[in-house]
Amino acid sequence: MSDVVRTRAPLPVRPDERLGARWSPARLAGATVLASWAALLWWLLISGRIDLYLSTRTQWVVPIGAVLLTLAAGGRLVTARTREPEPVTRREAWLMGAVVVPVVLVMALPPAALGQFSANKRSGFASVGIATSAGDISSGELTLVDVASAQTTPEGEQALAMRAGEAVDFVGFVTRYDDTPADELFLTRYVVTCCVADATIAQVRVVNVTPGAFAPNDWVQVRGAIYPIGREVIVDASEVVRVDRPDRPYLTP
Amino acid sequence: MAQIAAPRSDTATRRTALAVVGSLAALAVLLQLVEPQRFAWVQTFFIILGSLLIQAVPFVLVGALASAVIEVFVPIGTLERLAELPRPLQLPAAALAGIAMPICECGSVPVARRLAAKGLLPSAAITFMLAAPVVNPVVIASTFVAYRGREAMWAMVAGRFLLGMLVAVVVGWTVGAVSKEGLLKPNPDERHAHPVTLGRPESRWRRLFLHMGSDFLFMGRYLVLGATLAALVQTFLPAPWIERVAALPVLSIVTMMVLAALMSLCSESDAFIAASFVQFGPSSQLAFLVFGPMVDLKLAALYAGTFRRGFLRTVVISAFATTLVATMWLQVVIG
Repeated sequence: MSDVVRTRAPLPVRPDERLGARWSPARLAGATVLASWAALLWWLLISGRIDLYLSTRTQWVVPIGAVLLTLAAGGRLVTARTREPEPVTRREAWLMGAVVVPVVLVMALPPAALGQFSANKRSGFASVGIATSAGDISSGELTLVDVASAQTTPEGEQALAMRAGEAVDFVGFVTRYDDTPADELFLTRYVVTCCVADATIAQVRVVNVTPGAFAPNDWVQVRGAIYPIGREVIVDASEVVRVDRPDRPYLTP
Repeated sequence: MAQIAAPRSDTATRRTALAVVGSLAALAVLLQLVEPQRFAWVQTFFIILGSLLIQAVPFVLVGALASAVIEVFVPIGTLERLAELPRPLQLPAAALAGIAMPICECGSVPVARRLAAKGLLPSAAITFMLAAPVVNPVVIASTFVAYRGREAMWAMVAGRFLLGMLVAVVVGWTVGAVSKEGLLKPNPDERHAHPVTLGRPESRWRRLFLHMGSDFLFMGRYLVLGATLAALVQTFLPAPWIERVAALPVLSIVTMMVLAALMSLCSESDAFIAASFVQFGPSSQLAFLVFGPMVDLKLAALYAGTFRRGFLRTVVISAFATTLVATMWLQVVIG
């Protein structure tokens, strides 16, 4: 017989069953920050405003983030009762507040999409590095993504040139530069791959527009004939009408 | 031993909490009254800031979750045993391990911090942190898609993977035999996540949530700071200026690296932007793709908050020098 004395393992005791368990300010504050971000992501999903920030390709991160943040906030709240409640310093409290500032900014401001201001800054990025094959460009309905894509390769340019004179129907916002004639405008649409930070522009020059009819940032629908000339694409407009901003203002390559 | 917190004069009171909440509410009201979105640059700045954070926050949280799982479920001895491997093997192994971590650069920082804290050689943890956002399968696949149909496609895909590994190993080697105490800054919130030693330790699941929340809150403040800087740069970046240097041999590479650092793009989407710089040659674009996920404005803020003074300087100089030399050589070979 062995001399080893075995003792029964003590029964687990829930931490909040311990005497004197109290709410921890640090854990409660952390749970509040996590819950704020969870609320923002749920709100973006429910309101549809997520289309103003992320491309359709990456929107999957938002529901996953919302669920994880909700779990993290709930978990932090569940663990917030302890015998040794940790205090929060004033500095920490303000820093946690700073982490919530973007939540307030996004929720308090009216819905908006990138417009002419950013198009001017990103004009150099117009040759979008997206891969639509020359075969896709040479047949079917032409989109602004096709046009932007065609400008990136000689094959694409050739395929687009073959469509000269065909009817197109584009929606975008009005962009004007200092030297844009009164009877012309640039029809612009952002192409977003991941988030708005990586936005590049797809743009065509529209001629035969009523002078003074449209201001920069107005959303318009342009119908007309397309004429690719080298790397510039011109649309001879037969009809330009003002439209509401689409629910999804950015294009996805 | 139980830690009994002494009363501190800088402890937040209920009044502090009210002041913080009141300030946030006042900000919301002010935004409604002032309507700052009337100014185009303000609106652009807010949209870019929001999009950077909305995309990055879930990844940081996933990183914090992975970090908490390592802390709670990986036995202390496991990583210490890995640390006994010879250093020349550890660094390439750590870089290769990045393949198994398909998250962007924001998520890899908390994981690397936890790996170092748990006993992995700090230089190996740094190598892992820098390699993972460049060599993971999602990033390599996005690079393939972005360059599909281009002559330089395979050079870009293979170049990004190999150069990413190389730069990560060189930076890890440069960090050297620093101890974890010499590398990591203490997380002020970390003490909250330690098991209570009066009475019974807290359960693993409680500790998992504590560590996850703690890491997220620690990284979150630096993420907000870095994203703010990146959004400001993106709002005012004068793109036409940049295009003027595209034809200059070395300057084009340096410009693309600086641009990558300023734009602070997610490594899973940056290939599409790099590919759009058609004025720049493949080697300059490669420099953008390798350097950007290792050094950028939001990462600089995260590094400054996570690691001791001097670390950021070491990473910037060694990653910059290695990427520059390697891509200058490639510029001769592939243009």
